[in-house]
Amino acid sequence: MKRTMRSHSYSRRIFLSRMSAAVGANSGLVRTVGPVCALAAGASASARAAAAATGADVAKAKSEGNVMLYTSLDTKIVDAIIKPFQEQYGIKVQYYRGGSADVSSKVLAEAAARRIQADIVDASDVGAFLAMKSVGILKPYDSPSTKAVAGNLRDPDNTWVADRLTQAAIQWNTKLVGSAPPQHWKDLSDPRFASKLVFFSSSNGDGGPRLYTLALAFGWELLESYAANKPLRVATPQLVTQLLESGERAAAFCTNDNIAWRSKKLGKPTDYGFPTEGVPTELGAVGLLKDAPHPNAAMLFYDWWMSETGQKILVDGGKYSSRSDLAPPSGNPPLKELKLLVLDYAKYQAQRTQLLERLTRIFGGEWGA
Amino acid sequence: MRAAAHAGAGGVPTGAGEASTAAGDAIRAVTLGLAVVAFLLFIGYPLCWLVFGAVGLPGDFSPHFLVRALTRPENVAALVNTALLAIGVGLLGIVIGVPVAWATARTDVPLRNVFHALVGLAYILPPYLTSVAYIILLGPNAGYLNRLIASTGIHGSSINIFSAAGVTFVIAMHVYAIPYFLTYGALKSVDPSLEESARMLGAGRWTMLRRITLPLVAPAITGGALLAAINSMALFGPQAFLGLPAQIVYLPTRIYGALSGYPPRYADASALSIVLVLVTVIGLSVQRRYLGHRSFVTVGGRGVRSARHALGALRWPLALVLLVVVALSSIAPLAVLVAAAFSKVWTEPLTLDNVTLANFVAALADNQIAARGVFNSFRLAIAAATLAMLIGLAIAYLDLRTRLRGRRLLDYLAILPLGLPGTVLAVALLQAFIRFPVPIYGTIWILLIAYVARSMPIAVRGANGALRQVDVSLEEAARVAGASWLTTVRRILLPIARSNLMLAWLLVFIPALGELSATILLYTNGTETISVAIFRLSDLGQLEVVAALSTVLIVVILVATLVTQWLAARGRGGTSAVPNM
Repeated sequence: MKRTMRSHSYSRRIFLSRMSAAVGANSGLVRTVGPVCALAAGASASARAAAAATGADVAKAKSEGNVMLYTSLDTKIVDAIIKPFQEQYGIKVQYYRGGSADVSSKVLAEAAARRIQADIVDASDVGAFLAMKSVGILKPYDSPSTKAVAGNLRDPDNTWVADRLTQAAIQWNTKLVGSAPPQHWKDLSDPRFASKLVFFSSSNGDGGPRLYTLALAFGWELLESYAANKPLRVATPQLVTQLLESGERAAAFCTNDNIAWRSKKLGKPTDYGFPTEGVPTELGAVGLLKDAPHPNAAMLFYDWWMSETGQKILVDGGKYSSRSDLAPPSGNPPLKELKLLVLDYAKYQAQRTQLLERLTRIFGGEWGA
Repeated sequence: MRAAAHAGAGGVPTGAGEASTAAGDAIRAVTLGLAVVAFLLFIGYPLCWLVFGAVGLPGDFSPHFLVRALTRPENVAALVNTALLAIGVGLLGIVIGVPVAWATARTDVPLRNVFHALVGLAYILPPYLTSVAYIILLGPNAGYLNRLIASTGIHGSSINIFSAAGVTFVIAMHVYAIPYFLTYGALKSVDPSLEESARMLGAGRWTMLRRITLPLVAPAITGGALLAAINSMALFGPQAFLGLPAQIVYLPTRIYGALSGYPPRYADASALSIVLVLVTVIGLSVQRRYLGHRSFVTVGGRGVRSARHALGALRWPLALVLLVVVALSSIAPLAVLVAAAFSKVWTEPLTLDNVTLANFVAALADNQIAARGVFNSFRLAIAAATLAMLIGLAIAYLDLRTRLRGRRLLDYLAILPLGLPGTVLAVALLQAFIRFPVPIYGTIWILLIAYVARSMPIAVRGANGALRQVDVSLEEAARVAGASWLTTVRRILLPIARSNLMLAWLLVFIPALGELSATILLYTNGTETISVAIFRLSDLGQLEVVAALSTVLIVVILVATLVTQWLAARGRGGTSAVPNM
């Protein structure tokens, strides 16, 4: 299985080659991308009509009665999206929630055992979808709900489509940082942040891609200067925020924008920003499984998940949707105002081990390499 | 693969060849045989898969993974950190556990029953929760205690819990209970006539302690410290919560790193696990060699209580020392968690404005996974503890009461899971049962198997300790008097060993109730446990809800503990009646 994945997925450049063609980005692994969501402007009108449309057989879906979702999305948002769907169709949505790598490895493990339990998989890691696609476990589906998603945010073979974009932000404790909050990535290199920084990555190195993006854009010296400040490292962005809220740490690099957004919304003593010189962004994607136990219910839920109404719930939870017809989360700038830095996941996958080893040398600790 | 597993099974006789068994005692052979088969299936078979995995089978056969496990600098660093952790915890376990056990078991120190219960509480608290509590208490900048230190004006004296010392300390605060309980149990059951003889021969209190009491309980002390040390290496929770933020790696966290990504590197993880298993085996052999030629029989079935030492003026100073120990190991972590459970915002002090019950509603009513988790954990822990003790008894019986070939091997095998992080055991089980003809993977049964396998060391050691305390002459007497094997076990062995067995059951039940590291890789929708709910909510930063769930977990454990202890105490009453049977 491993060998198959190497020979197929790593040589593919699925969406980023198209993305670079579309926006004329520079060479190298990091592309500087313009207004992602504006690319499919004008799709808005048709999307509204498409929201109710579905490619699924509703009667069959109802008789299946259940749908199983594997997701890495925050449960509060998942619960909110599920609720109206269950009420409308009477189909019970069960879900497994874990980190992106947890979700991907669980799906791949089940596939290897030929005991697929998931109907739909959603994870904030396109690299994982490339891996899943390469072992042939994803089902192509051209959903009527995804028309409002730009062509460069989807697999041309329709095995997956981006549903959200997560930006790596700087977040800080307003009481501890005071009147001079860090605005640029290099600000956090300052010795005044010695033993005051926090960032996240699980042991499997799921925080690696955005750090790598940062290093490619602004030099490995930037990461080395962070490491010199002896940052604390936790497993998730939620825990980053927890440490900032409690005042254990003063500032964070590369945390999730939606988690920072929620903390501020809840009136915690935190704030966040997107450095103007560039913000690493990660695509979350969703796909159907070929051997799904509830194929029709899965399609129906997929259509709901990607519909304008469904995605609006996601935006209300602080996430940027991949749909071009939805506004950013309240208080956040539109993505076209940000300079987004996107990784070529295919190339990242190919070099992953060496890169994680490099991060291990810089920061120490466990990166899954 | 299967053929090889069977070959392993075939290497161990299953009781049929027992020469000294009287004719007609087939029940004995069948009972013991079934236990051995279950045991081999739960531990031997998955371990075979772990070994296969370490050399890259199936598909990638190569010694490369094993070589790399031992030569990569990151792995060597992890091995050194892990070894230092084990040594530190083992020593702390003796330094803390043994004096406290002596104080509560053999002196008239005030509040000794309270202290005894609070040590139990330290063991009850799942170590990942203790870690969370200690982040709140000793976070270098915002920790309660560090803010207190800072307010005294002493600069540069803050304690950083995110350090190797922090990991060692927090783990020791959990596992010192193991040497404590084993030493306590041994001290309680030392035959008082030995001490009385020493006294009559003119030995002073300290001489008696040094020359009679301590040597008698030495097996319990070293055994307890060894268990604590080995257990510390496998406690993934504190290593991850406190070590990883400071970029300190241990073998289990390296293994977790190899497994939690995609594609999971089973071979690397298996190879690293083999290293851990080797360390465990070495520790075990040391203990065996040390204890090999001593007699442990200290109880002859008589329920006579030993006299307590009168401490005089030292009573309260000693109580103060014990208070510090239990405050650090159970009271403070628990208080922090309970306070957070009732707080709207855990970082704020628990004032009237900040009090809420909403976290409990969120934990038990709003969150279906949490509610289901409480139920699943409870039934799994009861089933696992019972099954593990039955198998453990059989293994211990084979070891102590028969001359069966291969019994030592069983005993070694039984201790191995202690050196396997739950994560690794889970991977062994996954690899073993994904291909198993009976659907076990993806059901609650794989969790039960994991729990039984994980608790096997404690179950076997516990049963072993309990049986060692029973003089074989009592059973021989029963057999001579014509009782069958089953009757002898039922009427002699079990009643005498009963209270120790129940305590061992409890020592299996409690960790099973909070088991996390294996569960997290084996659970599926519908089989979530309370620890899964806690872990997932903790990852999501909902600390107040985590605290509420933890409080529920602790209450459930406390109730179970009190009930079991009450039953065990009744068992002790039964023990004293044995000679009259």
